[in-house]
Amino acid sequence: MTTVMLVDDSATMLMSLKSILTKAGYQVETAGHGKEALEKLSKGVKPNLIISDVNMPQMDGITFAREARKAPGMRFTPILMLTTESEQTKRTEAKNAGATGWLVKPVGPEQLLGVIKQVLPGA
Amino acid sequence: MPSLLRRAATAPTGETKQVSGDVVADALAPIPPYCDVIDAHVRDVIEQTGDAAQAIVEQLLKVDQLAEVMAGDVSQLAGTLTRTEHELTRVSSSNEELLGKLISYFLYRDHQIRALVDQMRELNQHVAQIEEVSRATNILALNAMIEAVRAGDAGEGFSVVADEVRKLAHRSAEAAQGIGSSIADLTAKLDAVLSDDSQFDRAEDVPEMNQDTAMTRRLGGIADAQREMSEMVGGVLKDTVSAADQVQRSSNALSVETTGAVGHIQFQDISRQMLEHVGHAVADVRRQAESTSAYAHGDLTEEALRQNSINVEDLRTQHVMSRQRATHAAQTGTKDAAGTEPLIELF
Repeated sequence: MTTVMLVDDSATMLMSLKSILTKAGYQVETAGHGKEALEKLSKGVKPNLIISDVNMPQMDGITFAREARKAPGMRFTPILMLTTESEQTKRTEAKNAGATGWLVKPVGPEQLLGVIKQVLPGA
Repeated sequence: MPSLLRRAATAPTGETKQVSGDVVADALAPIPPYCDVIDAHVRDVIEQTGDAAQAIVEQLLKVDQLAEVMAGDVSQLAGTLTRTEHELTRVSSSNEELLGKLISYFLYRDHQIRALVDQMRELNQHVAQIEEVSRATNILALNAMIEAVRAGDAGEGFSVVADEVRKLAHRSAEAAQGIGSSIADLTAKLDAVLSDDSQFDRAEDVPEMNQDTAMTRRLGGIADAQREMSEMVGGVLKDTVSAADQVQRSSNALSVETTGAVGHIQFQDISRQMLEHVGHAVADVRRQAESTSAYAHGDLTEEALRQNSINVEDLRTQHVMSRQRATHAAQTGTKDAAGTEPLIELF
């Protein structure tokens, strides 16, 4: 089963995204910020895809993306940034940190699932 | 005439400092445009919250409509399943009845054939009687021959008749033996057929029942009734499958609308971040007011006041959302550089 890791400090976002992804048949792991997500990766959680917010306490999404790329087996795992921010400078920063894509909130369920199919063609 | 406001302020330390009305005016000047931008952002949040709430309500109304449709579909399915159950019970009962009739019919035929076989066995007794009669006739013919010889020439004709009678007796005996043998053979075969029909399953040349006989008519009637019931059951099952499909479609549509409503909940996260920025901006205004007050009371120098003064353009740099930047530009009359970035971008 394809596992998606959701990283967001908003419990509402985690709840709604988890509901959408679970209904679409994905297994979901959640984390409240980048540090917690990194801890999960270090404990052996191996998601097929990561969807992360940018502005979060303790560790922001872009730093998390940069650190996640160093985790074992995470070099080619798609990392999508899902954020309210739309600035180009931030996008470039995320791209340089190893992010695969940038999605501006709000994203409709069909759009989100469409992007996931694009970055995970076999899933 | 701000310069007229220049006065001497007495600091808590007792030291007298000069306070300029121009400086106070300059310090307060950015507050109205700052507040205008804050006000516009608050209105954005209100509008966005209203839009999202409306979208959620519309989505929920669709969910409600679909739930009603689905309730109707489920009710229809329940009705169809009830009818199916009744029909299947009726068909099962009819099948048992037909099977009972079939068994009775074959038992009746079996009984009739056994009776015929018994009657054929009884024929053997008659054959034995014929054989006995033939033997007696033969003896009688021999005696007649003896008497004809004894009668001499007068019995010559009688001798011919006696010889013919003897031959007839002999042929009768042969015919009786033939009939007896045939009956024995036939009854043996019928006994075998009645006690073992396993050959039927292995027979390759089973004749079709296309002859118009009492048995084919009876079996044809049973087959017709069975076919009619099968068609009826097929129709009922088709209705059931169709109703179940409808429920499945309604369920899928309901799921899509529910997921859509869940997706709209993202507005909460966006509104939260917008309000956090508003909160920061309000805190800036508060700091500016406190600094101005401190300056007016002689607790802050003009340089410190001017150095930390708020600027509505600084507020622009804190905006991260397209909508925030657009609102800021609209409110301050500046150029909007936002809105060109794609909402979804894969690197």
